[in-house]
Amino acid sequence: MAVDITLLFKASVKTVKTRNKAIGIGFDSTKDEIFKRSRPKSGFSPKAKEVITNITKLKDFLLQHRKDYVSAGSLISSDLTRMTDNERDQIDQDAQIFMRTCSEAIKQLRNEAVKQVTSAQVKEHRGAVLDLIEIYLRGVCKLYSEQRAIRVKRMVDKKRLVSEVPNNPVNLWEEGRVEDELSPEEIQMFEQENQRLVSEMNSLVDEVRQIEGKVVEISRLQEIFAEKVLQQETEIDSIHQLVVGATENVKEGNEDIREAIKNNAGFRVWILFFLVMCSFSLLFLDWYDS
Amino acid sequence: HTHTVRQTHTNTVALKRMLNFNAPPLKNAAAEPVWKVLIYDRFGQDIISPLLSVKELRDMGITLHLLLHSDRDPIPDVPAVYFVMPTEENIDRICQDLRNQLYESYYLNFISAISRSKLEDIASAALAANAVTQVTKVYDQYLNFITLEDDMFTLCHQNKELISYHAINRADIQDTEMEAIMDTVVDSLFCFFVTLGAVPIIRCPRGNAAEMVAVKLDKKLRENLRDARNSLFTGDNMAAGQFSFQRPLFVLVDRNVDMATPLHHTWTYQALIHDVLDLQLNRVVMEEGAGADPSPTGARPKKKIRKTYDLTAADKFWQKHKGSPFPEVAESVQEELDSYRAQEDEVKHLKSIMGLEGEDDGAISMLSDNTAKLTSAVSSLPELLEKKRLIDLHTNVATAVLDHIKSRKLDVYFEYEEKLMSKSTLDKSLLDIISDPDAGTPEDKMRLFLIYYITAQQAPSESDLEQYKTALLDAGCDLSPLNYIKQWKAFTKMAATPANYVSHVVVYNHDNLPVTRILDNLMEMKSNPETDDYRYFDPKMLRGSESSIPRNKNPFQEAIVFVVGGGNYIEYQNLVDYAKFKQGKKVVYGCSELSNAAQFTKQLSQLGQK
Repeated sequence: MAVDITLLFKASVKTVKTRNKAIGIGFDSTKDEIFKRSRPKSGFSPKAKEVITNITKLKDFLLQHRKDYVSAGSLISSDLTRMTDNERDQIDQDAQIFMRTCSEAIKQLRNEAVKQVTSAQVKEHRGAVLDLIEIYLRGVCKLYSEQRAIRVKRMVDKKRLVSEVPNNPVNLWEEGRVEDELSPEEIQMFEQENQRLVSEMNSLVDEVRQIEGKVVEISRLQEIFAEKVLQQETEIDSIHQLVVGATENVKEGNEDIREAIKNNAGFRVWILFFLVMCSFSLLFLDWYDS
Repeated sequence: HTHTVRQTHTNTVALKRMLNFNAPPLKNAAAEPVWKVLIYDRFGQDIISPLLSVKELRDMGITLHLLLHSDRDPIPDVPAVYFVMPTEENIDRICQDLRNQLYESYYLNFISAISRSKLEDIASAALAANAVTQVTKVYDQYLNFITLEDDMFTLCHQNKELISYHAINRADIQDTEMEAIMDTVVDSLFCFFVTLGAVPIIRCPRGNAAEMVAVKLDKKLRENLRDARNSLFTGDNMAAGQFSFQRPLFVLVDRNVDMATPLHHTWTYQALIHDVLDLQLNRVVMEEGAGADPSPTGARPKKKIRKTYDLTAADKFWQKHKGSPFPEVAESVQEELDSYRAQEDEVKHLKSIMGLEGEDDGAISMLSDNTAKLTSAVSSLPELLEKKRLIDLHTNVATAVLDHIKSRKLDVYFEYEEKLMSKSTLDKSLLDIISDPDAGTPEDKMRLFLIYYITAQQAPSESDLEQYKTALLDAGCDLSPLNYIKQWKAFTKMAATPANYVSHVVVYNHDNLPVTRILDNLMEMKSNPETDDYRYFDPKMLRGSESSIPRNKNPFQEAIVFVVGGGNYIEYQNLVDYAKFKQGKKVVYGCSELSNAAQFTKQLSQLGQK
């Protein structure tokens, strides 16, 4: 179990202070204050913290309105807390703009960090900080995309539902306009029609719920695929680089081999020449001697 | 019946808490990131690396992790978490950091307790640098030991030669040096029990280093318990130990009680990796793609690639098979590969289904079926990839081990040594194996001969000995370990009742290695001439005694076995098998340092040369 000795440390500080006072050592604090202030105020950390606070604001905003956003509400109820589609559109738009600005801000910070002249450790640290912020942003974006997927599904299904509702009520309505009073038979017919509609609606609602689930899954899968494809793109790029490099190397290798062959050939010619010269000189000497 | 919390889990939780500025980490996944740098010394590095991977550190917001004694640049807007030993050099460096105003705030965590005077040194440096407010928290972590497995720990990795068997048993050791080594060991054991949150009952043999450790540990625990204000074993700190009904048993043994096991050739997976490959802190380092001989065309030989593999708790195959005999491991890898291929085929099959799907809007049912399959396939993809990575890992490792076994004929050695240690009849002569040029390296032969010498009831005759020696020298062995073992054998015969090496026939037999036998006797309160004379310490008792009579008559449910002078995976595996056999009992194995047979033989050689 870890033991907190911070208080012990603070007590030690007091002890040392009193001891130093007794001995007469005073620490020149003013010089250190100036030293601290003269250190250049790096703008990186406050900017990074600002981006994080913004992303947190977005997250809180999304979570706050999530329930209203997602709840379809029954089509019949007139709940005051229910959101209109316009409001939802507004939220979508705002969220997207916000996420884009945050993403831009992170990119900008990265570029600045690269340009700034700092030590390798500080560069690595800042890169890691920006990675952490990006992961955070991605998490918050996921919140947004989840609820948006649900909403999109609902819209698609609503359209389908509206188109599938039979046109009979319209006909009945027309018929009803002809007679001012509704005869008991027609009342019964209306009632039957209502029953039929209700049961149809129920079955449709079930089907809609199922489809809802499927489409959310599909959208999530699509996201995963897109990510994988992007990953593969970078990998393919690097493979391309390697292949280009390899072809260059092979070409150079061929050149070197050609050179070597030439040198070999040239070398052989010289050897031959030398031997022929030697033999001629031998013959000459022999002729000279005799 | 609850056991004390698993060791790795406790330590990992403690580390994570420390890295979260000494506050419990939040469960909320979508929490704001807080960044920090981690500064450690070599001890801290050894403690953290088996428990947390670099990725896990990153997830906790650690942007940089640096060694204390390296060149570190100022990063003025970042809090720094320090995890170091409170040594003189480390304290000096911390004071230097404070003076140079490297970081925004400082969270100092000392691996073992820091002394008051050193704390004052830091205080005065902080005052001088006007940085007192920046030192936000100071903690004593009591984590001065390395947890390798849930039930295994060791004290030292880097600089382990300072407390090795050689360091403790050499002839020219001074009293002060011995005291220093004992103090190091006791400090770590004390931290272990503080983290465990329990005060054990200590049993140890008489007349060796283990007894010295036991006496000192008992004293330290006793002093701490008596100190009512600062006791570390009060209720709030004993979270883990609160629910176990019994106190754990702590058995201290000296390496000298069993010298054959560290030299033994082994057959279980983890122990084999430690023996023939380079396994340190749960990490295997291998060279692959070795093309030693240049090919005849004069082309450059294939470069050797160094590969590093981490054997973690998340690796299910490893957890299941690290104690299995090697042939079983090979089979299981094959099985895993087959099941992986089957799953891969399923995913590929989906591709064809997707292609055949028509444009039918009304075919909702077909869509849903395929969507479900697709979802399950995609969600299982990362799992599948991870499985593939692990299969590759174990295939490579197992192949490397197999190469060693084949080239050195380690199975022959294993069987012969088993027979030697269990006193069964031998079918081959020792001389044949030693003289066989194909079987094993000189080191293997030396190990075999040393085991023969250690386990022999009577020493071999002079002429036999000379014969063996000549054969060993011909094979290229270094005979200095033999000198030391001769001394050791003579001493052991003189000292106490001779220990018997009994029944080590089949690896899965419980109750076989000496250390396991000793533990069994003490844990089950069995009477046995070997352990009856062991001393008994109970730090909670008011007065210490010299007696060997335990006050507690009930068998223990939990035990910690600690070997002073070095341990190995073979003993660990034997204890694990024993604990499995005795259901409901928990056994933890600890040693001052881990050596494989090669390292141990080297130490014996150094001792024999004096």
